[in-house]
Amino acid sequence: MANAHSDHPAHLQHHFVSSEQQFDAAKMGMWLFLVTEILLFSGMFVAYIVYRTWHPEVFVKSSELLDPVMGGINTIVLLASSFTVALGIHFAQKDNKKGLVINLVLTFLFALTFLVVKYFEYTAKFEHGVFPGAAFDPHGVSHGVDYATYNIQYARQFFSIYFVMTGIHGFHVLVGMGLFTWITIKAVKGQFSSAYYTPVENCGLYWHLVDIIWIFLFPLLYLI
Amino acid sequence: MSHAEHHVSSIKMLSIVFGGLVFLTVTTVLTAQIDLGAFNVPLAMTIAVIKASLVIVIFMALKWDNKVNAVIFGLGLLFVAVFISFVLFDTLYRGDMSSTTKGTVQDEVIRNEALQSREPDPSSLQPVHTP
Repeated sequence: MANAHSDHPAHLQHHFVSSEQQFDAAKMGMWLFLVTEILLFSGMFVAYIVYRTWHPEVFVKSSELLDPVMGGINTIVLLASSFTVALGIHFAQKDNKKGLVINLVLTFLFALTFLVVKYFEYTAKFEHGVFPGAAFDPHGVSHGVDYATYNIQYARQFFSIYFVMTGIHGFHVLVGMGLFTWITIKAVKGQFSSAYYTPVENCGLYWHLVDIIWIFLFPLLYLI
Repeated sequence: MSHAEHHVSSIKMLSIVFGGLVFLTVTTVLTAQIDLGAFNVPLAMTIAVIKASLVIVIFMALKWDNKVNAVIFGLGLLFVAVFISFVLFDTLYRGDMSSTTKGTVQDEVIRNEALQSREPDPSSLQPVHTP
């Protein structure tokens, strides 16, 4: 017992039989967490569905105020970030440290781009009194759009759902940026290899789920 | 320490899927500008489901993953389906039975305010039952 750690790799915890078992356990835990995330968002999707079935014409009219070009750009930005995460995992599996770090940094920058676009979308709405809840009071004219004509009954519910859903989604993007900062630092330090890349894999799974939520939010809020 | 059993997605396949996802995004933006009547919503949702499936199956590599993860994910989707359908059993069919009223709480508030502000009809203020 000169050194209890000498007979196994540094990343392997003592309570696991093998690296493989440790990897599978961590990944299964991640999938269970993703299911709880899906159920968190499903509550908001149910709210959307119920109010839409009650007032479909209000949702069609209100969605005109959201810019499909901005939303479309953000969709492609998030899809690109999912692509770079998948590439990062590919390079981690191939022991390519440079490829992994580059793709993790790109993912972080795409996430940042998404939030910057979202910031401009939010501020453009706030300027015209489009707030969630009781403060909802659309007014003013910009780009030929008279905001006052959107002050119709139940429009407040659409925009409350819009701000809550995109806000909680945006918070997940922010958390993702923190996660990618953390694993980029670990990757630069050379802590990942084809033998151990579990944090990259699990952060990737989380990030793909954030992307999937947006894939549904975009058409529901901006297009239809 | 070989992890040869882990599936490694090729850059070519990931690129093709990414191209497909961008193509579908452009398609859904363009088709949403055309008025297809009742078909706008199902079309946009079909495209969204295809996009999400591509991300889950290829990017998240569920296709090559341990099957237990697919079962966990499938169970999650099942509970979402139960959640949505059982809520709709209520909200879609309100007012179909005589004991319930159609509409939302906000509708009720508006109706009550209208009733409150209405000038009462003098004849209705007379006692109904005279001895």
